[in-house]
Amino acid sequence: MSNILLEIKDLHAGIEGREILKGVNLTIRRGEVHAVMGPNGAGKSTLSAVLAGRADYTVTSGSVTYDGRDLLAMAPEERSWAGIFLSFQYPVEIPGVSITNFMKAALNSRRKAQGLPELKPAEFLKLLKDRMAMVQMKGEFAKREVNVGFSGGEKKRNEIFQMAMLEPTLSILDETDSGLDVDALRIVADGVNRLRTPQTASIVITHYQRLLDYIVPDVVHVLKAGRIVRTGGRELVDLIETQGYDGIDG
Amino acid sequence: MDSLVCIAGRDPVPSFLSLGEGESLHMTLVVPEGVSIEHSLEIHLDGPGASLDLAGAWRCSSDERVRLQVIVRHNAPGCTSGQLFKGVVAGSARAEFDGLVYVAPGAVKTEARQQSHSLLLSEGAFAEARPQLEIYADDVQCSHGATTGYLNPEELFYMRSRGIPEEEARAMQVEAFLAPVLNRLEL
Repeated sequence: MSNILLEIKDLHAGIEGREILKGVNLTIRRGEVHAVMGPNGAGKSTLSAVLAGRADYTVTSGSVTYDGRDLLAMAPEERSWAGIFLSFQYPVEIPGVSITNFMKAALNSRRKAQGLPELKPAEFLKLLKDRMAMVQMKGEFAKREVNVGFSGGEKKRNEIFQMAMLEPTLSILDETDSGLDVDALRIVADGVNRLRTPQTASIVITHYQRLLDYIVPDVVHVLKAGRIVRTGGRELVDLIETQGYDGIDG
Repeated sequence: MDSLVCIAGRDPVPSFLSLGEGESLHMTLVVPEGVSIEHSLEIHLDGPGASLDLAGAWRCSSDERVRLQVIVRHNAPGCTSGQLFKGVVAGSARAEFDGLVYVAPGAVKTEARQQSHSLLLSEGAFAEARPQLEIYADDVQCSHGATTGYLNPEELFYMRSRGIPEEEARAMQVEAFLAPVLNRLEL
């Protein structure tokens, strides 16, 4: 097993004919937490969209290798089966589909793709209860329709709950801190930290340092105008806090 | 309460029903895949306090033709009617729904609701709903609504990003759409 989990090389991508990422390079090793910080419009959401496989974004050049495979050739569900998880900035409501049925379909689809039998109902329920507890979700939560009528904080906790259910190898947290109060932020960060292993990695995409007080990154990148203009350690977070993004050269 | 389930192609579908004083009817009409039907159903609420709870669903997958006309006529005071219709139309199928709620003179304190929603799964599919209200009495509460739409690509992407393949994600959304009607069959 290679130590390098994700390798992005000279990635150019955009939407509707407009180039947003203009040559992104990024290497992520197992066990690492990377923060990608940047001002609005820098391309943070485009990066997460391309990694998750959104069809409306176009990659014009460059490559993304995940665990030795050409990530860009994989369908969104194949990326999920391979261990990639995107925590959505704006989680989507799915009327009429309960969280239980949603997660059952997600887990069993992956097991089917891996040639494994479906989870036994008792095993599934045990996992569900355990992971709900991790994000402090109460019993009736599993019966609710996915994200329908959820508060902003509940939606983000639901994202981390799904992450805990799927136990991804690479998790991408896209602005997971937006719209969270301090208590919810702690629950979310605690969940993410408990899921860390030496085999997994995370990309934390954020505008602010707040979440990085709780999920401590090993490497910090500053994304500006579609390029990573600076890479450093945690001290970069403090630099951004005092000088703003204008103070970081591009 | 009377309960009536009609699966088109399997059960006879009535053309006319009348509800007397205090009577209530819980009726579910389902047009399964592969069944074409042209039918008119008229239900009269003829006695005071009668109530109707009517739901229908159709699932057209290839070249079916579904044409339903439903007339609910409030002839007596204090009656209630609720109607919910949901149709999924794919392939080159056509589904047309005409829903008339008629409130006769003197049928005061009527409560009538009607909803019809269509989900189109292909460019070649066609669905039309024509809801109508004719009200000749005062002091009534009547409402109707109709929508036609496609599957939401954001929902599909969200489900796929969790590992649910596209076909299964579509099937789950269709099932969720029809559930408010089809779940009545299990009661």
